[in-house]
Amino acid sequence: MNVPVPGNGGPEIVTQESLLLGAAERIGRIREGRMAVQIHTSRLRPQNRQDGHIRIALRMLEPMVNAYRGQMFLFLNSDIVFMLKDANPIDVENMIYKLRALFSKDPLTYNDAGDGRDNFCTWFDLGCSEYDDFVDMARQATLEARKKVRSQDTGRPALRNLDSKALGGVMRSLKSLDVSPMISRQASIVITEKNTAEVMSQEFFVSMAELQKALAPDINLLSNRWLFQHLSLTLDQRVLGALSEAKLRKLPPSYSLNLNLETVLSKDFERFEAQQGSRAGISVELQVLDILADSRGFFQARDRLRQNGHQVVIDGLNELTLQFLDTHEFDADLYKVVWSPEMKDGEHSSVVGAALRPLGPEKIVMSRCDSEAAIQWGLDRGIQRFQGRYVDAMLAAFTMAACPNAAACSLQQCIARHNVITGPLRGQCGNHDMLDSSPTMSAPKARRKES
Amino acid sequence: MLPPRIEPALTAQQKAIAQRLVGQENLLIDYLQKLEKHRRGRRAVVIKLSGLQATNRREHHIRIALSSFEGLVKQMKGQVFSLTNSDLVFVFRDTAADEVEAATVKLRFMFSDDPLLVDDGRSGKPSFLEWFILDRDYDQMLQFAHRMAAEEQDRRNQELTQNMAAKQTPRQMGRGDPLTPEVLAKVEESLVRADLSNMMRRQAICAIIGKAAPQPVFNELFISIADLRETILPNVNLASSPWLFQQLTEVLDKRVLSLLNKHDDRTVAGDISVNLNVQTLLAPEFLVFDDNLKASMRGTIVLELQKVDVFVDLGAFLFARDFAHDRGYRICIDGVNLESLPFVDRERLGIDLVKMVWHPDMPQGLMPNGDSLDNYVRRCGASRVILCRCDNQEAIDWGQSVGITMFQGRHVEAMLAAEAAKARGALRRRR
Repeated sequence: MNVPVPGNGGPEIVTQESLLLGAAERIGRIREGRMAVQIHTSRLRPQNRQDGHIRIALRMLEPMVNAYRGQMFLFLNSDIVFMLKDANPIDVENMIYKLRALFSKDPLTYNDAGDGRDNFCTWFDLGCSEYDDFVDMARQATLEARKKVRSQDTGRPALRNLDSKALGGVMRSLKSLDVSPMISRQASIVITEKNTAEVMSQEFFVSMAELQKALAPDINLLSNRWLFQHLSLTLDQRVLGALSEAKLRKLPPSYSLNLNLETVLSKDFERFEAQQGSRAGISVELQVLDILADSRGFFQARDRLRQNGHQVVIDGLNELTLQFLDTHEFDADLYKVVWSPEMKDGEHSSVVGAALRPLGPEKIVMSRCDSEAAIQWGLDRGIQRFQGRYVDAMLAAFTMAACPNAAACSLQQCIARHNVITGPLRGQCGNHDMLDSSPTMSAPKARRKES
Repeated sequence: MLPPRIEPALTAQQKAIAQRLVGQENLLIDYLQKLEKHRRGRRAVVIKLSGLQATNRREHHIRIALSSFEGLVKQMKGQVFSLTNSDLVFVFRDTAADEVEAATVKLRFMFSDDPLLVDDGRSGKPSFLEWFILDRDYDQMLQFAHRMAAEEQDRRNQELTQNMAAKQTPRQMGRGDPLTPEVLAKVEESLVRADLSNMMRRQAICAIIGKAAPQPVFNELFISIADLRETILPNVNLASSPWLFQQLTEVLDKRVLSLLNKHDDRTVAGDISVNLNVQTLLAPEFLVFDDNLKASMRGTIVLELQKVDVFVDLGAFLFARDFAHDRGYRICIDGVNLESLPFVDRERLGIDLVKMVWHPDMPQGLMPNGDSLDNYVRRCGASRVILCRCDNQEAIDWGQSVGITMFQGRHVEAMLAAEAAKARGALRRRR
């Protein structure tokens, strides 16, 4: 692997891309028997191309690249390019097969455009005319990398990772912070048999971007999962406190809250419960991580919540958790599944559909539905509960159709004002009664399934 | 690594006993037995580091002493064994006699101010070195090896009985100051410098079939949290924050890996398991560990992952799993208790082993969801289950009744010790 030389912002910026270009140009006259492969690691989902993934991909390739006296380059965008001499193509193919298998959970490796093109990697036979394509690619990459390095130099400094040293300070600031301006709310709807869409609950949660800005603008609070989880215990208390004081005209049918198990069994929660009394229901959204860390505690908390008339929701389920975990064993009241556009793609769609079946469609809430297609996919599978930006827009549109002050606002403004519980945005709305209401709308029409 | 377990801290004496991590007495016996027909032209020297003053036989002294034979081992001129009492045994071909002599001169020099060497050579004094010519002294050498193995076993037994007694003391982990980010930060800082080698423990995972004696399959290596707590964070209640504890284990992972890197000549001999976080598998430290292993002869290595860690980021887990499998590691999911069994589907997760935590309710045969445990074990594959934390015979009996063959825990250790004592008795009678 070539050692990258950090750019200094001057006219000559040496990057892995420019090193590759140099190497490609050098071999111009003696190309016989040479080949190159570009692995499009940059096209992977961000969570699948973190440092650890790339490190291991490089490690897998290293022995082969060394064996064929090759060179390997890691681009700034995390693409990997290697050049080999007199390589046995079967070896190379086997290695790429292995690498592809390693990333098999990413749509890049399983989504097929249908045109026979390989999205994961591009081969260049440098002995023939593909050499020119290769040099073009390297040239293009060099230009882009230069641009990137320059903008990084002038851009904001990168965020620090959260460590235990910083966590103490962050927690202290959080204890004295008023989190109510950072609380967002988002409604979930249920499609009834009468073909109406009713608000079943409103989720209240802290916007992480806002919290980070207020608490520690230079630290990425989500960078360390365990430490963030510890921080979230304090956050729970602050949110419960802020909600108790929120001045809503009408309470939602049910408060949906993201809480830790530990919080559910705490005095803070009891106080909140007592304060709401019978005026509004409470559904508690729990993370799988939290439940598995203390399964015994979960079953206790679940039973206690149910006894008090509350609902237990398992939050944050995705395609992977659905496939690898028997989620229905949690025996919860609702399961929140995060929608992703890949769910509707061919074979994948039926895999996810099958994984959803044991939960029962009547217990599923599809969250992050940002398009009609998301709702449609859910309706096709008998799912009746939805949340997300598309639902927000539905609600705002319905509000504006009925609101006497609607002429003064845009749909975007109405959506934004629905999403907060205090602050200037809310102040701009002239009709708080409607803003806090939970109307009954007509359901989005389920198109007939294309057969 | 399992969450903090209520486990009594070791006494100073026990710690001293456990300090020599993986004794190679049994390896030495095996090796000597293999040499029985090839003893001609071979010699051995015992370097009695055990006779040195305590200050002269710390971990690093032994490491340095060992390293003086490394060159010879690499040239295939001999084999070195490190015994639990700190003694070293080097068995070599007599063509290397001069080089061995040279190495021992260096060692003498190194410890020349120790009383053992000051008086060395005078009649009636124990000496620093003992030489064997195997063609002539084979039986004597073998006896020596057996004696060392027996002594080591005695020490382990003693430790065990003390452990049993100490078990009766009230929970020590559940008291004390809460673990806060500030405390954690301090601990992380001191871990950078601390020598953890004397907190490393091992526990055997044994095959127990019917009434036959337990057969060790592999050894789990782990940092004793009780010792760590006593040394670095007395009065801190580690169980008070599971998330901060989890973070601590990630820091420990890297220290354990670097420890294993340093010790691969002794510790990583044979089949072992280590506790790691998924994120650690993707870290540079693991790649270094993997590199170092390739260089030496390695047995099967089992990587133990916590269930929470697996499910917190399934994508990262699946990636790390495939990489680890490609490199020949086995993967075990650790800490699966009765409540979480229904969530761990071994086959679907594509892992090799499941470590089930014994619970006295297990003989009732049901999981919390009402499904039968028997079925679970069958679906998982009985040979893929390890029943851990077996503190009594009831655990083994139940495990065997559902077809489980691999066991770990205090009771298993006790069975191993009893077996060794029996074997020693037989040996004595034969003499």
